[in-house]
Amino acid sequence: MESNESKAKDAKSTSDEDDSGDIVQQKTREEILFHEETIDLGGDEFESEGNETVSEDSNNFVDKLNEQMMESVIISDSPNNSEDDTGELGCLQEIVEQMEAKDNQKTQDEVDKEEFLSNGSETEHEETPKDVSEIGTDDQEESIQEAVKEEPKLGNSVHVETKPNNTDESKPEDEILSPGTSKSSSEAEPIPVCTIFSQANNVNTQQQLFLPDGFEPQMVKSPSFSSIIETPVKSNPQVVQPSPSLSKFFGDTVSTNTLASDFFDSFTTSNFISVSNPNASSSVPEQMSSLSNGGDSSCASPNPAFSVRNGRPEAGGPPSSVEITQSPQPFSQIQAVFAGSDDPFATALNMSELDRRNDAWLPSEETRNVLISVATQQYSTVFIDKENLTMPGLKFDNIQGDAVKDLMLRFLGEQAAVKRQVLNANSVEQSFVGLKQLISSKNWRAAVDLCGRLLTAHGQGYKKSGLPTNHTTDSLQLWFVRLALLVKLNLFQNAEMEFEPFGNLDQPDLYYEYYPHVYPGRKGSMVPFSMRILHAELPQYLGNPQESLDRLHSMKIICAKILENLEQGLAEDGSMTNITQENRQASVQLWRSRLGRVMYSMANCLLMMKDYVLAVDAYHTVIKCYPQQEPQLLSGIGRIFLQIGDIKTAEKYFQDVEKVTHKLDGLQSQIMVLMNRAFLHLGQNNFAEAHRFFTEILRIDSSNAVANNNAAVCLLYLGKLKDSLRQLEGMVQQDPKHYLHESVLFNLTTMYELESSRSMQKKQALLEAVAIKEGDSFNTQCLKLG
Amino acid sequence: MRLTKPTLFTNIPVTCEERDLPGNLFNQLMKDDPSTVKGAETLMLGEMLTLPQNFGNIFLGETFSSYISVHNDSNQVVKDILVKADLQTSSQRLNLSASSAAVAELKPDCCIDDVIHHEVKEIGTHILVCAVSYTMQTGEKMYFRKFFKFQVLHEVFYSSDLSSVTDEVFLEAQIQNITTSPMFMEKVSLEPSMMYNVAELNTVDTAGESESTFGSRTYLQPMDTRQYLYCLKPKQEFAEKAGVIKGVTVIGKLDIVWKTNLGERGRLQTSQLQRMAPGYGDVRLSLETIPDTVNLEEPFDITCKITNCSSERTMDLVLEMCNTNSIHWCGVSGRQLGKLHPSSSLHLALTLLSSVQGLQSVSGLRLTDTFLKRTYEYDDIAQVCVVSSEVKQS
Repeated sequence: MESNESKAKDAKSTSDEDDSGDIVQQKTREEILFHEETIDLGGDEFESEGNETVSEDSNNFVDKLNEQMMESVIISDSPNNSEDDTGELGCLQEIVEQMEAKDNQKTQDEVDKEEFLSNGSETEHEETPKDVSEIGTDDQEESIQEAVKEEPKLGNSVHVETKPNNTDESKPEDEILSPGTSKSSSEAEPIPVCTIFSQANNVNTQQQLFLPDGFEPQMVKSPSFSSIIETPVKSNPQVVQPSPSLSKFFGDTVSTNTLASDFFDSFTTSNFISVSNPNASSSVPEQMSSLSNGGDSSCASPNPAFSVRNGRPEAGGPPSSVEITQSPQPFSQIQAVFAGSDDPFATALNMSELDRRNDAWLPSEETRNVLISVATQQYSTVFIDKENLTMPGLKFDNIQGDAVKDLMLRFLGEQAAVKRQVLNANSVEQSFVGLKQLISSKNWRAAVDLCGRLLTAHGQGYKKSGLPTNHTTDSLQLWFVRLALLVKLNLFQNAEMEFEPFGNLDQPDLYYEYYPHVYPGRKGSMVPFSMRILHAELPQYLGNPQESLDRLHSMKIICAKILENLEQGLAEDGSMTNITQENRQASVQLWRSRLGRVMYSMANCLLMMKDYVLAVDAYHTVIKCYPQQEPQLLSGIGRIFLQIGDIKTAEKYFQDVEKVTHKLDGLQSQIMVLMNRAFLHLGQNNFAEAHRFFTEILRIDSSNAVANNNAAVCLLYLGKLKDSLRQLEGMVQQDPKHYLHESVLFNLTTMYELESSRSMQKKQALLEAVAIKEGDSFNTQCLKLG
Repeated sequence: MRLTKPTLFTNIPVTCEERDLPGNLFNQLMKDDPSTVKGAETLMLGEMLTLPQNFGNIFLGETFSSYISVHNDSNQVVKDILVKADLQTSSQRLNLSASSAAVAELKPDCCIDDVIHHEVKEIGTHILVCAVSYTMQTGEKMYFRKFFKFQVLHEVFYSSDLSSVTDEVFLEAQIQNITTSPMFMEKVSLEPSMMYNVAELNTVDTAGESESTFGSRTYLQPMDTRQYLYCLKPKQEFAEKAGVIKGVTVIGKLDIVWKTNLGERGRLQTSQLQRMAPGYGDVRLSLETIPDTVNLEEPFDITCKITNCSSERTMDLVLEMCNTNSIHWCGVSGRQLGKLHPSSSLHLALTLLSSVQGLQSVSGLRLTDTFLKRTYEYDDIAQVCVVSSEVKQS
């Protein structure tokens, strides 16, 4: 805004020549516009205009200029058209297109691969440094790799079929690993999977080469371009270092490697090591040999992957084995250590109260049967249909990008855009710590990326969907975080795609019982409860609220059943486990609150469906579950009625709130009462009174964002545009960290558009403010810069 | 900018539990989000108001509000600014500006604001014409206009259905919400014409409390239809002059008041609803009393009222009774009813019995005007339920 003012002052001092130049230019434009207007009008209107414009005479075109400038009110002819909608759609389409493009590119790459062509200078640039990088990492790896390979060979003679597969695979690996073989490196280079390692390499080396191109950093079009995306954001000095740091970087990759495995452990509350992927579980056959004796390789042991492994090269391309083998080594080693301590008694004791309480879930009949047979090992092998296994994988390997920066490039120029610095997946530790850092700094896109990398390290990366894998507490938590963030970013379609392999979250391999050797004695669902909620809520955002309700209902039934079990003196799952009174109480509390959470989602879903009667009922149920939220919920119900237009009922609810809050006094309840009164006046079309109450709130709590914003909105309805703008601007300047909120900015830009045809400058100023404070998850649509 | 009511911001709650990977991160993010409800972050419906994003739809009966802002984008002070806002409809041109006085001067980067309101009463194309005239510092007179076109649509669709039994008229009004947003019906009432008294039949009295027949659902979802029922009774003075109520009569008009988002109000009054009085012709026969349930093969009585609806002719009527398959008339057919003066009526007690069980319709009365030799036929004048005598006794 300030810059705008100064520009205006500048303009004042400019000579008249400029003005006249402008006029000529605008005149031509205006004439076109003018034509349109006359078309819009009816015939008689046209006549009347003729009469009125007689007096205009010589000033005609200046008028027209002004007309152009005064275009502050825009009323759309077709009432239904909403630009925002189309914008969103367009966006989605773009994503789809780009993903398709990506796919195409990939197949292309594979063709290239087969021919061992290092075609074009572009690829060569990438390759040469990469070779070096791989020498570093792979050397170390090779040794580990060798160690692992020994195990299955020694393991048993049962896995005859699997062995050849393994060796087959290890052969190309060997080739790749052998340093200096340019052939193999060219083979390894175009890995169509986003891996931690290959990407990091790209970043490191490609950056200088591509930065000057000013390539639009929106979405990755092909794997080989993926690094470009990162380059603009990659101003982090730590990573951007010349060759000496290469070695350091390799050190990083290795440490990343271990990190990836470390954090998988770090999170697990149990003491047992999680098996992260098929290769990692290569040690498992040793343990399993006793139970799967004589069975063929398609046994349903925790490593079902083995039987299907030979299918992998076709799907993922031979090089994919490279990154698969990278991370697991630590697992297998530790696994081997733990293999001996497989004592059922000790493990039973180890299963903590907390685990049981939180992980409890009731599988469907079918799933339960499978789990029982796994536990009792009635059959030497338990055959499980592939359809009943959960085989997730990333559906898109990179959504990184920063819309704020894109806009800055477009509107503020490259120089300004360079200043924009946000954390990205590369600039943080490749672990849960880094992930949390990204989430809390609101760089959710980068966090989604990091989740993707960690999952890739886990063998569930891009294009891995449909391939057998193992699940751990951590892998599911990572999925939960990734999907939750996608939902938070409103990327519902993407979330749905990646949720799809999980089915209804009731497949046997999502239960701890399925992995008796990895999680001995542990029972219940690996899928976090919050992930079930997310899964249930998702369809409603995609226009299928009925499906959401169905899912929520089945969740509700299970929650209620668990509570019933607890009340009958049983464990959560209905077994006859002894639970102390204290623990039972805690468990009841937990499950009540979970039931409440399900009801909350139901109420929200019904509200979205506009089934207000049921929604209000559901919110009443929520009040029973969360009595401490009663005043807020009653106010919420009141607002629902206001939205319908039922002012009287709304008032009744607001009065109830006042009764409830009467008992507790405190700032918050006082604010709530005032807020409700303001809303009621709003419903009665009394903006002046509403404004008075919002202002009253500000007197008590001057930093109340809602009151601030709402007071400003009221001012606009009272015809005080400038005051309204001043209030919102003041608020944003006062505490940009908090108030650069989508809704506030949306209001602000709407008013800028109303105020003047020169709103662009002011919007750009907002963009600058946003660029300083907000992460990559900022929804730029509210700036209406498009 | 059109000022429809602001909307409430909704957020998408994503929660997690303490033990999940992000710990309380997600919950903390939601707490920090200014648009969530503090203390109940999972509640989707927030408190933050957002301005209307687009023009939206405007419907007949709603109030069109618009913000008119004239902003001086130039760097010169202009004088004597006159802003005029007119609304051109297909039939008239309305002036909506609050004040017609000119503003003395407008400094750069200042603006003149006005909020106009207008209750739209016509459907079809409306054009908002904003005209601004002002004087530059050089003394030049400037003038420009801007046009904004919008369509006014029907918001409620109503149709009515009339039926009459005896003198009472029942009006069924079907009201359908043909918008895309829910609608709260604040008032739907029938204002009767001077000839009628009206009773609304849309509430049920239970224990002194009247309860709406629509239950707790106080609003209409898009495309929902509601049926309102009214009973109209002719006022005593008109009822007696039977001849008055004939042909086309005006029975009244419906007054519909609704509210939508945050109390956005709409009101619609229908034109006078007209009723074509049933074609009684010259002679009208109506039923005064009839039992609802009768015994099989047992005679029962009905009372008819015969009215001479003609203007001046005195009639001489003959009554004939023709048996049908189930209805058998008792008494003499072809009897003289005597002279009937214009606008007068006579009561007639008749006896009949039914030979068939079930719901039977009373038919077969014939009145013949001896002077004009014209016969009036009356079939299906009423229905009775015929039951076997044992059932009735038990």
